[in-house]
Amino acid sequence: MSLSSIALYFYLRNILEVEIEEQLYSTAARIESSLEAGKNPYSLPPAVEVATSNKSLPDILKDTLIYDPSQDEIELFRELSSFKKINNINYKITVRDLVVESENILMAIIISYLLIIITVFVVLYYFNKVGNSYLWKPFFNTLEQIKEFSLSTKEPVALSISNIREFSELNTQVKILTDKVRGDYNNLKQFTEDVSHELQTPLAIMQVKIESVINDAPLSNQQYDQLTSIQKDIKRVTQMNKGLTLLTKIENNQFINPKQVSLTSIVEGNIANFKEIFQQDIQFVNENELLVTMDYHLAEILCNNLISNAIKHHIGSGDIVIEITKEHLSVCNKGEKPILHADRIFNRFYKENESVKSTGLGLAIAKKICDMYNFKLTYTFEKGFHIFLVQFS
Amino acid sequence: MKILIAEDEFSLQQSIAIYLEKQGNVCEVASDFNEASYKVSLYDYDIVILDLNLLTGSGIDILKQLKKEQDANTAVIIISANNSLDDKLKGLDLGADDYLTKPFHLAELNSRVKAILRRQKFGGGTIVVFNEIKIDTDGHVVTVGEKVIVLTKKEYDLLLFFVTNKNRVLSKEIIAEHLWGDNSDLIDNFDFIYVHVNNLRKKLTKEGAKYIKTAYGSGYKFIDD
Repeated sequence: MSLSSIALYFYLRNILEVEIEEQLYSTAARIESSLEAGKNPYSLPPAVEVATSNKSLPDILKDTLIYDPSQDEIELFRELSSFKKINNINYKITVRDLVVESENILMAIIISYLLIIITVFVVLYYFNKVGNSYLWKPFFNTLEQIKEFSLSTKEPVALSISNIREFSELNTQVKILTDKVRGDYNNLKQFTEDVSHELQTPLAIMQVKIESVINDAPLSNQQYDQLTSIQKDIKRVTQMNKGLTLLTKIENNQFINPKQVSLTSIVEGNIANFKEIFQQDIQFVNENELLVTMDYHLAEILCNNLISNAIKHHIGSGDIVIEITKEHLSVCNKGEKPILHADRIFNRFYKENESVKSTGLGLAIAKKICDMYNFKLTYTFEKGFHIFLVQFS
Repeated sequence: MKILIAEDEFSLQQSIAIYLEKQGNVCEVASDFNEASYKVSLYDYDIVILDLNLLTGSGIDILKQLKKEQDANTAVIIISANNSLDDKLKGLDLGADDYLTKPFHLAELNSRVKAILRRQKFGGGTIVVFNEIKIDTDGHVVTVGEKVIVLTKKEYDLLLFFVTNKNRVLSKEIIAEHLWGDNSDLIDNFDFIYVHVNNLRKKLTKEGAKYIKTAYGSGYKFIDD
């Protein structure tokens, strides 16, 4: 672009120069012929000057700067001085003409170029935009579908049909991929549900058989202890099963009975229950009655899990503090140090230490419930307290 | 009492039958839907213990069949592997008297059976008698001989559980689960049960009723030597 403008600049200047020179020669020739015809020499400075001269030199062609009073500035002129002997008098004929200034040429070139470039750019931009948006429409449709793709929705992805081969291939592959992912996910979910369900009956058989053994035959104390320990483990597996089934159900959106629930009264009920089995005090600070729209059963589970988690992990003396305001519920219990992997605390089966016998599902379930209703459940450790905070707004 | 146990798992069915027979009941068993349906239509039972997932059909249909009959005196206890609230509510809505989730303790099943029988026979409360101990389940009053003894709610529940499951070894776990349900897994220290049992034992012993015995060091048995 710039090269062509430079070339154009020199080419134009050259043409103009040649044109001016031609004009100068022709003017000089006309003056000559008028002198030959015997007319008096005349001058019209700075354009034409005729003077007698005793020199006889060849024609001189040069650039010169002369003050032009009409323009009130110094202008560049092209000057032709020719020496001629006419009627035995030596004349020096000087003819000048204004040269178009090179800056002006340059400016004209640049401006016209810029105009062309801008026009072309604008036209191309809109042309491309319209063209591309038409061409890529199927692609962006597909992209939108992929973005909205969620495992939990029951509908398969609906991809528009495209007659562009690449896009229709892409769509086919995306469809195959998402169908497979959904299939696998559903299988996995079904599997979890089935396993949890199918385990209950064998567990029930184990349970009743152990009870029969305990009651039927005289046992040693040691045998009895072992049998009751098996009972405890059965109980744990049962709890785990219940937890897993519940998680699957929440994932399946099987709780679709949202209504106004008073968390305050649920927590009060929980505290009354827990007071009997928890020796230390539970402090309940209730600023406002907290009303939340959610499934009642899930609200109970959420409160129960948070409070029982606090009871399980409470260390040392002091109270467990439960606080309810208009917008949040917080449960605090004493602890020695912050949880090591706080980011994993809501994962299934995450256990900070093995000594506490829990299913490792309580907090995962609480988190799942909060996620489902877009509540924010966070964990922090402050001043020796583990704090679980649910923000409802 | 005549009890039908409709459960397709043979060993579970047998264990329940043996346990309940030891408690002085007459038990019949049904191993699939057709057998259960047939027996229910032919004979009268005081209680049907019904598994919801029978091999060849749903226990729910048996329940409907039972409740359709005009003189529907038969009580139903559902035992199900499914612990979902919906199923439970559905079962109870259709007229089931109780709902137990697998796995359960036989002692727990037995105490539910007894509670239903009390309700069924006497339209609510009745007096449970064990030697000189009388438990009025209507007014929740316990008398030993002629003397009324004051018990806390948990002690009362505990005594009723003991008397219902007399002569059986009851571990602390079973007692905890009976008294506190699912929350019992929060109790990591069963000394706590010991405190409750001990208080009850003291109150009974004071009136000369020494029936709570320790079994195998850590379990309990309510027995008249």
